[in-house]
Amino acid sequence: MEGRIKAHPILEFKGEKRVKFYFEDREIEAYEGETVAAALHAVGIRVLRHTPNLDRPAGLFCAIGKCSSCLMEIDGVPNVRSCMTKVKEGMRVRRQEGKGDVL
Amino acid sequence: MKFYEAIVIGGGPAGMVGTAILGQYGVKTLLLDENDFIGGQLVKQTHKFFGDHTHYASVRGFEIAQKLQDDISSNSNVEVENSATVIGIYPNNMVVYTQNGKEHKVQCKKLLIATGAMEKQLPFVNSDLPGVYGAGAVQTLMNEYGIMPGNRFLIIGSGNIGLILAYQLIQAGVEVRAIVEALGKIGGYAVHANKVKRLGIPILLNHTIVKAIGDESVSGAVIAKINDKFKPIPGTERELVVDTIAISVGLTPLTELPEQAGCKVEFVPELGGYVPIRNEKMKTTNPDVFIAGDLASIEEATTAMIEGKIASLEMVQELTGKDVEKKIEDEIKTLALFRSGPKSIKVRTGLEKMGIKAPVISKPQINEPKQDIVGKLRAVLECDEEIPCNSCEASCPFGAIYIGENLNSTPVLNLDKCTGCGTCVNACPGLAIFMLKEDKENKTALVGIPYELLPLPAKGQKMWAMNKEGNYVCDATVERVTKYSSKTNIVYAKIPIEFSQSVRHFSFPKKESPIICRCEEVTLDEIEHAIDNGITDFEELKRLTRVTMGPCGGKNCKLVVLGILSRKTGVPISNLSHGTSRPPVKPVEFSTFLKDGDDK
Repeated sequence: MEGRIKAHPILEFKGEKRVKFYFEDREIEAYEGETVAAALHAVGIRVLRHTPNLDRPAGLFCAIGKCSSCLMEIDGVPNVRSCMTKVKEGMRVRRQEGKGDVL
Repeated sequence: MKFYEAIVIGGGPAGMVGTAILGQYGVKTLLLDENDFIGGQLVKQTHKFFGDHTHYASVRGFEIAQKLQDDISSNSNVEVENSATVIGIYPNNMVVYTQNGKEHKVQCKKLLIATGAMEKQLPFVNSDLPGVYGAGAVQTLMNEYGIMPGNRFLIIGSGNIGLILAYQLIQAGVEVRAIVEALGKIGGYAVHANKVKRLGIPILLNHTIVKAIGDESVSGAVIAKINDKFKPIPGTERELVVDTIAISVGLTPLTELPEQAGCKVEFVPELGGYVPIRNEKMKTTNPDVFIAGDLASIEEATTAMIEGKIASLEMVQELTGKDVEKKIEDEIKTLALFRSGPKSIKVRTGLEKMGIKAPVISKPQINEPKQDIVGKLRAVLECDEEIPCNSCEASCPFGAIYIGENLNSTPVLNLDKCTGCGTCVNACPGLAIFMLKEDKENKTALVGIPYELLPLPAKGQKMWAMNKEGNYVCDATVERVTKYSSKTNIVYAKIPIEFSQSVRHFSFPKKESPIICRCEEVTLDEIEHAIDNGITDFEELKRLTRVTMGPCGGKNCKLVVLGILSRKTGVPISNLSHGTSRPPVKPVEFSTFLKDGDDK
């Protein structure tokens, strides 16, 4: 899979179980245990939402659940932190446009 | 609502150590952590830690996390809730967290908050663009998930995090264009800076980022020199082609929860910004609430762990009535020792502002180096900054390295005792120890370099020997490679003796030679090499290297090749044979020749 480190002098990455989820209706393969943001980065997707007022692209910043820059629409729920949410089989992920519809 | 004697919020180094101690003393404890594993930011730290050998020095961050996890999971007094996001603290020590879409309320007698910190923002034009990350985010993607967010990086800030990130990016196989630093000196430890400088990464002082370039995502950056008021100097802007920008301009403590718990906070910039007011035993202005780690002051994992110990021991004392005062005093003293070096001056100033007095300890000192013994295989220590680490002293099986009582003192090697075993090279977290042996008779020197990159050079391999700044010095031949389970291997290579003091890294020779024949992909180097080996006839050169023999029939490169041949041999082009032209002069499908177009 692209965007993944193939060999590392210190670490071993043993992605075992593969999971398929959907980003904007595109099927994406990831490893179980990965966050949505990480899995999207693995296939080169860095734009995770567009902002409510200026419609600017926004993405991951802190990756540890603090900055709320990576909010996405996950399984129909807006404003979900994609850096803290693990991928699940069949999950539907969308770029959040604006503030997201609550109802 | 469930009730505990103690609740710990945050399972990073401070919270984990605190939880383990509370459990050991029989205190019913709940540890809440937002991730689905505990370990905090340690899990993404691949470098070896500095410090005292009794405090995990020379152990890599993710391995420390594993050890601390084991301490906790084996304790029956401790419950751990993962994926538990604390969203608020209410009166009477009531903690509310969410988990799997449900709200939970728990209460306790004593609370330890160890929520750590987050990356500081640095506003510049387009700093909100995807592709601009906090340095920690890049580490998370790269070291936790093995995922690279980009290929060419610019790092803003030369503190330890920025320097470590640069090194880790190289280990992961991507490019770091530069580290820019607004101040006139490098912020982090000299040994960390040396590690990246010798890999050829420039650290640009008195520079800042002006803007990120890109529409949907970063595709470049503009940096500029700054004046003494930190304003960019017009005309010094320059554009770097990078796809990722990592910000490491410091961390800021996450004080929301202690504030909700009624702890007073104060703005102490030396400690990282707003921090809860607390005493030397980590107790806040709410007598039931303790803090530890980066939340208390931005430092590193070792001091966080010691603070976790101090806080939890005091909690044990207050909860159980057991007298552990002596242990607390010892830890306070250890902490003061850690902070006694010149790199901790900010923290010391901040703590003084808060009225926290450090106990009297021995001051760090620069130990004078001993007379060198040329010609003997020996360690060369390049650790001349007072930082809190004594792992080399502890590692030496022959007692040849001395640091003394204060671990911030610089190490000195007793060359009579040094056997050249290389154990210290492997142990040094700063990769600041090298091996050296001169051979005056053959005018060569053997240099041993700690090596944590892939691929690992092999015996007999020709390498480039690089100096401290990452510039080529001379060629080197690998003599042997000593592998260690710690994955810090040592590459020993032979170099000419005159460079014995300057070589600090071996890199694979970079073949940056222009492609001359684009059809057959033949480089200038290959052509020159062939000519140097006596192939001075154009036809022979063609047959050997395949220049001019591709689909274009030499239309692209023939004249260039003849020019090279002429330059190298001194024979004018007009006197050189330039080969025979044969049909077809353009690419033609084979089947064309089977179809006679004349047979109408």
